[in-house]
Amino acid sequence: MSERTLNVVGKSVPRRDGMGHVTGKTVFVNDIRFPDMLYLKMVRSSVPHAKILNVDFSAAEKVPGYVRALTHEDVPKNIYTILTLIGVGPDEEYVLAEDKVRYIGEPIAAVLAETEEAAMEAAAQVRLELEELPAVFDVEEALKPGAPILKEWGTNYFVYEGHHCRRVRFGDVEQGFNEADFIVEDRYQTSPIEHAPSETTGCIAKPEADGRITIFSNTQALFFTLDNAAIILQVPFQKLHLVGGTVGGGFGGKVDVIVEPISALAAMKTNRPVKYVFSRQEEMQASSSRGAWRMYFKDGVTKDGRIVARKITTYADAGAYNRHTPYAVTKHAANIAGPYRIPNVWIDAHCVYTNKQPGSAMRGFGVTPASFALEMQMDKIAKVVGMDPWEIRFLNAYRDGDMKPHQKVVEDATLIEVMQAAAQLVGHDLPENLMQMKSGNGKEA
Amino acid sequence: MSIQEYFRPQSIEEATRLLADQAQGSLILAGGTLAMPLINDGISMPEMVLGLKDSGLNYIKDQDKYLVIGATATLSQMASQTKISMLSEAALAVGGWAIRNMATVGGNFFAPPPGGDFTAALLALDAEITFVSSQGERTIAVKDFFTGFLTNSMAPGEIIKEVRVPFPEGKTAFTKYGRRHANTPSIVAIAANLGYQSEKVSKARIALNAVGPYPLRAVMTEDYLLGKSLTEQVIQEAGEIAAGECSPFTDAIASEWYRRKMVPVILGRTLEQIGD
Amino acid sequence: MSVRIVNFTLNGRNIDVMVKPLTTLQKLLREHLNYTATKTGCKQGSCGSCTVLVNGEPMVSCLLPVEDIVGKNVLTLEGLSDNGDLHPIQESFFELFAVQCGYCTPGMIMVSKALLDHNPDPNRDEILDALTGNYCRCTGYEPIIRAVEESARRLNLAGEGV
Repeated sequence: MSERTLNVVGKSVPRRDGMGHVTGKTVFVNDIRFPDMLYLKMVRSSVPHAKILNVDFSAAEKVPGYVRALTHEDVPKNIYTILTLIGVGPDEEYVLAEDKVRYIGEPIAAVLAETEEAAMEAAAQVRLELEELPAVFDVEEALKPGAPILKEWGTNYFVYEGHHCRRVRFGDVEQGFNEADFIVEDRYQTSPIEHAPSETTGCIAKPEADGRITIFSNTQALFFTLDNAAIILQVPFQKLHLVGGTVGGGFGGKVDVIVEPISALAAMKTNRPVKYVFSRQEEMQASSSRGAWRMYFKDGVTKDGRIVARKITTYADAGAYNRHTPYAVTKHAANIAGPYRIPNVWIDAHCVYTNKQPGSAMRGFGVTPASFALEMQMDKIAKVVGMDPWEIRFLNAYRDGDMKPHQKVVEDATLIEVMQAAAQLVGHDLPENLMQMKSGNGKEA
Repeated sequence: MSIQEYFRPQSIEEATRLLADQAQGSLILAGGTLAMPLINDGISMPEMVLGLKDSGLNYIKDQDKYLVIGATATLSQMASQTKISMLSEAALAVGGWAIRNMATVGGNFFAPPPGGDFTAALLALDAEITFVSSQGERTIAVKDFFTGFLTNSMAPGEIIKEVRVPFPEGKTAFTKYGRRHANTPSIVAIAANLGYQSEKVSKARIALNAVGPYPLRAVMTEDYLLGKSLTEQVIQEAGEIAAGECSPFTDAIASEWYRRKMVPVILGRTLEQIGD
Repeated sequence: MSVRIVNFTLNGRNIDVMVKPLTTLQKLLREHLNYTATKTGCKQGSCGSCTVLVNGEPMVSCLLPVEDIVGKNVLTLEGLSDNGDLHPIQESFFELFAVQCGYCTPGMIMVSKALLDHNPDPNRDEILDALTGNYCRCTGYEPIIRAVEESARRLNLAGEGV
């Protein structure tokens, strides 16, 4: 294809939705209203770990405008997990809590009312009787014997094909440490992050005359949502019609299937449109975060700067439920050794449950925390060995044909070329030998 | 129970009369920047609200030695007045443009910590605060307003009428330290007014905000500074005293440890500014 | 409960509305009048996505009771363009990619309008000061700042022609 046939590449193309945004005409979920619409407000746990002894709606029922409440008994398939669609199990999250709550903010009952204010007031009037249980908030504490256990299967970790973590075994790290001149160790910790989109999570479920339910949603994952909602509601997929694609900020925070199933259920039970939009507080404190990660590195390095062994143990804080974390940990394990040629690598990447708000997807999740730790570690190695941090990376960069620790051959490696271009862009002079390096056959700088 | 009544008295007299009678127990609303968020979230569910925007409390009067400011004068008005520069600096430390257009001088007294940056400036300026009720008026020093965390010495039926700020002698400086450059809760905010005689401090007023249950005067630090010149040594020593006499707290913005650590740093910057 | 009739001017039109006590301007605009350009992001006055102009001054409509704007002039994004022609601020935001998800955009544009009405030639610091009450989670703010600078340039050019 010649350059003459390119219509878009190299040109500035206005955003398709730009006009709508600058005129205020773009329609977001919360801009939509229907006649007879009900508002859903969620009753949530105020403690991190507890048995639910009783839920009393009698005061809520007296609030003018109260219509009804939904509990787990109303939900056809109450226990689910979002990744069930790609074969990741088991089902372990509750649309509405049954006998226990496992994080502050966990949904217990959905209250429906004629106005948003009435729904807020009625939800506030629901009396919860909770018996608090010991809670665990630290990933390593959660794995110690005697820690409070969150899951029915008796442990606080996700099981990867029979193992307690995602494992990478490549070569012999102990042998590598013996050959090394320096051992460089450190512990790295990232914080959980809230996506805080300008528009909070929300949807409207509307029963149609032909028996279908239309769900207007700001999810980033329409098909995910449709399929999971259908499974939870135990209805044929074609009963649901998801309308969306206008997302006021997602960043991964709107890929979990959280508001749609319960709203659709409420619409089915009342035969009225139901709106469920998170308040800012719910968005900050109950919606999924980017989970925190703790990572321990132990590297064996020769005095000329080559990494001969890398042993990494990491703990992903999934919070109380899986959501996307098991998948993130797999990605994490495949990437955390870095784009470097290392003959001996050992990785144990755990997905751990704690009594905190569940972590989930956010912008490169699993890999972004890995990059942070990994590159801090590379800088530390450079210091210990007494080499330039650029040079350490050039030296250890993987090339075409190398084998990665998780048993994939390197193809189209470009780390070296990218670093050369980056150095030029920032005006950093690299020594000639580094400027002459190549990632593989036929690569141009 | 949704709000049954929003009273909007058109004079101070009407406001106090309503408060003594049919509007007794109402939630008081001035700019709304503190009360409306709580109402919007369903945390506060008042039956009656009394709004002061039209009750004649928005004025700024130059009364010879004092600037007299009505309780519902907005922080934007404070930012743009040029009579007392520290009040302008302190007002600009609060919120963003829209918030300042709505937030009031009286309202800032009720901002939970770490809020209260503007009140800290009033404290450092030895301002007085006048309450009014159906029984009449009552004036106290701003330093006697706070009695504890979220408690104050206002009596039921009283509202804030105005603050009376003496035009400062000597030099003033206001420094706010937050996680962002603007529109941010304080980690530490300091308002200082120092008077001099023959190059030595003859009067010291230092108000610290966000490092205690309410804006407080660093009285031991003030005492220390009397009779001294602002050398590097003196400023450092003052910082240590201030760090010792405040009682910071941990919140989502900063830990107690960090706040206490930053007190001498921010005080140092504030005093250096005055020393210039 | 005392329902009140409030008279004010909205986007150049004088209107009467009937409201329950303490109904916010945000709720009136979005739910009663279907003017949904003014957004709802936090209901705390923190995010600025509900910013409107009241007598030319930015205010957060989520904290503003309708009874407090009696007789005042309210301007929302819907009132910004003249006869369907885009305002130079809207053009600049569109062309300079100062919008991504679009949720902060109405608030950003309204504050920018107020800024440029008060100060037709703001420097970068003045732009930052004006926009500090408005959060954007998508753009990193630089395109927005550039769009405001461009808006000032276009408005001043247009003014010169008069």
